[in-house]
Amino acid sequence: MRPFLLFLVVLGLVRICTGEPTPRETIARAEQRGSVLRVNSTNQAYDFVHPWSKEVPFPRKGLGVLIDGGKILVTAELVANSDYIEVVRSSGEKATAKIDVIDYEANLATLRVDDQKFLAGMQALQIATDVKTGDELSVLQLESNGTPVSARALVTSVEVGKYALEDSGYLMFRMSCPLQFRENSFTLPIVKGNKLAAYLMRFDSRSQTIDAISSPVINHFLVESQHHPYRGFPRAGLDFSSTRDPQLRRYLKLQDLDGGVYVNQVDRNGPAAKAGVEEGDVLVAIGDNQIDPDGNYVHPVYGKVSITHLTTTEAYAGQSVTMTVIRNGQRRQLNVELFRRSPEDYAIEPYTIGKQPRYYILGGLVFQELTRQYLRAWGANWLKDAPQRLVYYDRFQSDLFPEKRKVVILTQVLPTKDTVGYEQLSNLVVTKLNGRQILSLDDFAEAVKDPTNGYHKIEFDEDPREIYLDAKQVEVDSDEVQNVYSLPALKHL
Amino acid sequence: MIRRVVLLLTLFIAAHVTAEVQKPGDIRKSVVRITTTSQEPDYRVPWNPGSMSVGVGAGFVVDGDRIMTNAHVVSNARFIEVEKEDDPQHYQATVQFVGHDCDLAVLRVLNKDFFRDTVALTPGGIPAIESPVSVYGYPIGGDRLSVTRGIISRIDFQTYTHSGIDSHLAVQIDAAINPGNSGGPVMQNGKVVGVAFQGYSGDVAQNVGYMIPTPVIDRFLKDISSGHYDGYVDLSLTYFRLLNPAEREALGLPDNEQGVMVSSVSSAGCSFGVLQEGDVLLTIDGLPIASDGFVPLDGERVEMPEIVERKFKGDKVRFDIWREKTKKTVELELSGNWPYLIQAYRYDSAPRFILFGGLVFQPLTRNFMDAYQVDDLRLRYYYDFFVTDEIFKEHPEVIVLSNILPDPVNVYLSDLRFQIVDRINDKKIRTLQDMANALAQKSDYYVINFVGSSRPAVLERSAVEQARERILANYNVPKELSIEGGLMR
Repeated sequence: MRPFLLFLVVLGLVRICTGEPTPRETIARAEQRGSVLRVNSTNQAYDFVHPWSKEVPFPRKGLGVLIDGGKILVTAELVANSDYIEVVRSSGEKATAKIDVIDYEANLATLRVDDQKFLAGMQALQIATDVKTGDELSVLQLESNGTPVSARALVTSVEVGKYALEDSGYLMFRMSCPLQFRENSFTLPIVKGNKLAAYLMRFDSRSQTIDAISSPVINHFLVESQHHPYRGFPRAGLDFSSTRDPQLRRYLKLQDLDGGVYVNQVDRNGPAAKAGVEEGDVLVAIGDNQIDPDGNYVHPVYGKVSITHLTTTEAYAGQSVTMTVIRNGQRRQLNVELFRRSPEDYAIEPYTIGKQPRYYILGGLVFQELTRQYLRAWGANWLKDAPQRLVYYDRFQSDLFPEKRKVVILTQVLPTKDTVGYEQLSNLVVTKLNGRQILSLDDFAEAVKDPTNGYHKIEFDEDPREIYLDAKQVEVDSDEVQNVYSLPALKHL
Repeated sequence: MIRRVVLLLTLFIAAHVTAEVQKPGDIRKSVVRITTTSQEPDYRVPWNPGSMSVGVGAGFVVDGDRIMTNAHVVSNARFIEVEKEDDPQHYQATVQFVGHDCDLAVLRVLNKDFFRDTVALTPGGIPAIESPVSVYGYPIGGDRLSVTRGIISRIDFQTYTHSGIDSHLAVQIDAAINPGNSGGPVMQNGKVVGVAFQGYSGDVAQNVGYMIPTPVIDRFLKDISSGHYDGYVDLSLTYFRLLNPAEREALGLPDNEQGVMVSSVSSAGCSFGVLQEGDVLLTIDGLPIASDGFVPLDGERVEMPEIVERKFKGDKVRFDIWREKTKKTVELELSGNWPYLIQAYRYDSAPRFILFGGLVFQPLTRNFMDAYQVDDLRLRYYYDFFVTDEIFKEHPEVIVLSNILPDPVNVYLSDLRFQIVDRINDKKIRTLQDMANALAQKSDYYVINFVGSSRPAVLERSAVEQARERILANYNVPKELSIEGGLMR
């Protein structure tokens, strides 16, 4: 399982690089050359089905660019779950690097080279702020001999689109570009003149189109990187739908000039909720930006863009925006202080990257906190193939688990003499252990200390509802479980 | 399992009997050929009468001038003809009783002369493993009566694919059972020991056929003797095998390999209020329940539900139980459990729906899920967990916006497809009838709220009224529908 790479679309045949630029390519300009580095990362994700193990390590290659402050900008995908990162100059010299700041949602990371002298003589790239539809940009690649080449890419649209994770959408540049597959990688910088304009995220070789991380997102990431701690890209915490339907508009008593979107859902304890935005409100403006019935506003450079861009990228965490809503025909202005909700804040983490899954093995029964990464172990079709109750819990977690908690599940049984009769149990949500409510694996570890009359009583939210283990016997047998199944540890909390 | 394939293949079997005369044996006076013309409703176009098909199956004469066959041979029938081996005449038959939960039916023949020279077959017992049997019917490969032979391979609980949800005793035989064998008798020593009913296609397994054994046949005949088929009763509970020594000790049970623990009790079933979660069932009607859930019956070990399988609505069953470390005896009166039916295939009934402003609303059923192949996560959850998570308490019927017939009145609503109706004009919708009532109320706006977070569908009465004739005409919807056959508002 390589969960984080799910959305990298590389279609069509892989052409082995020939060493010569194609007719549509040119040798990259000198000022671009001096900023590009090859980045090789050896990545190894945790195995969420066997949370005590890591999966097979695999190499990823891409290009990074030097930016101000002696840091190297890359996509987060390139270095997600990295064990070892090296950077290579066009001359062939290598140095090791470490992640400085990483944002999986925005799919960006900065690296710091262990020896800063390694970068001597290189030129930092600035960020282009004036990219618009119709611009011609250059995608930078390196020949295997280290020669930088650039391919021309035409910006065809600027819109909010899905980044590397299914829940995160930010401003994206879509481009058309005939690109040669080189060096096993499409993780490439895109420049406008001598400035960084975008970062290639996906390339579809059949339609020859690029989805790229846009310069406003890169800029936001770099500005926010200066803040300690890094606070990420904020979200308003609401979900909306169109108000184009004239019957709906009449029912909501909206004027034609109002525009506006219908607020379907407001995240409990999210920024919008805290400001008093309610489900059923019609959001008509954010700041001075009027919202059309489809949820777009007019950006001075990009034209019509989803309001998501306003609340995630134009504004920073900690800043406030004024939302104008119509409720019962009345306009009201609400001050929304934006912040990001971290994955750890969810009952079921939407993504878990670069850290070991938590688990607790009790007498051969394996308990874990449910994460979407675990469900992804069922493969590309996990929505249908993974246990349906757990998939449902994940999808509708904000309704089902409004309180702050985790969902602890019995994932599998490592058969031992203590688990006779329990071998078939899997993927059951634990409600209680020894009478204590279980809202996290920490609760579980605490409750293990208090067996009831010498037995661990484990309760589930579905059949078989309750099972028992002999507490003393489990204690006695624990070394055996660990040895027989070669487990490095019986728990990781 | 390929019940559906069996039916499909039989469509092409011609119903002609050749002129060649064959010496009739006794069995040939008992086996009949059944040709059924049926109409299967299309849940995606629920107002249509359905597509026509012709299927051939077998049946046999039983006591009381009746013919027994499989329910699936006569399901959704519009016209049924029966023929005998040595009689050129086709006789019209009608379904007298049908049990979709056990895939059995009893037919009457309108012309009583049909039974003048027939011989009624009598049921035998459960045949022994490895003993030989003969299977009679009209399988694919010819028109005349066919006999195949085999032995009894296995006796076990099986899912009856006709309903798709019911499991009863079934006997596996290695005689070839092919399309057209359905409903035919399986004979041993001159007695019926089963009704051939389902099998695997050759792609899946070789020589695996199943027959409905006599306990199920006897139960069906006894059930209908009251003049009405009540169907199977069910304890409506789940239980967990108590095999773990620590668990047995913790519950205070002796180490005697007896007892299973109740893990859930359906609030819509007969055990509710009598048995509860955590009860350990020790005996059923005095028979000890082993820790793996088996019970000794007639010298065999059978799964505990088999005791209940042979009982009828209103019958009693007695348990010795272990509750809070004390032994108790409880008795309960058996009945069916309706929420399970959401996952059973439905037959002989028109799909129910409401059409309002071009929006089609239908209750969630297995036929619905099969027809639409829904991906929507919430809908799949409501279907899969309707019984276990007791969704039926809030939504006895899950009303789904299943389709949108595009019209100016609804062009902006297409993204709401497969949402589940929760309220209309703030009135809770629990059944299709609730919805019909809510839409019958005069109101300027009909605001339909769905389960979960989505915008409501808002329809203006005037717009709906203007669209009505147009939608009916464009989409060829007949007007004279009632709530049962679908309702047009």
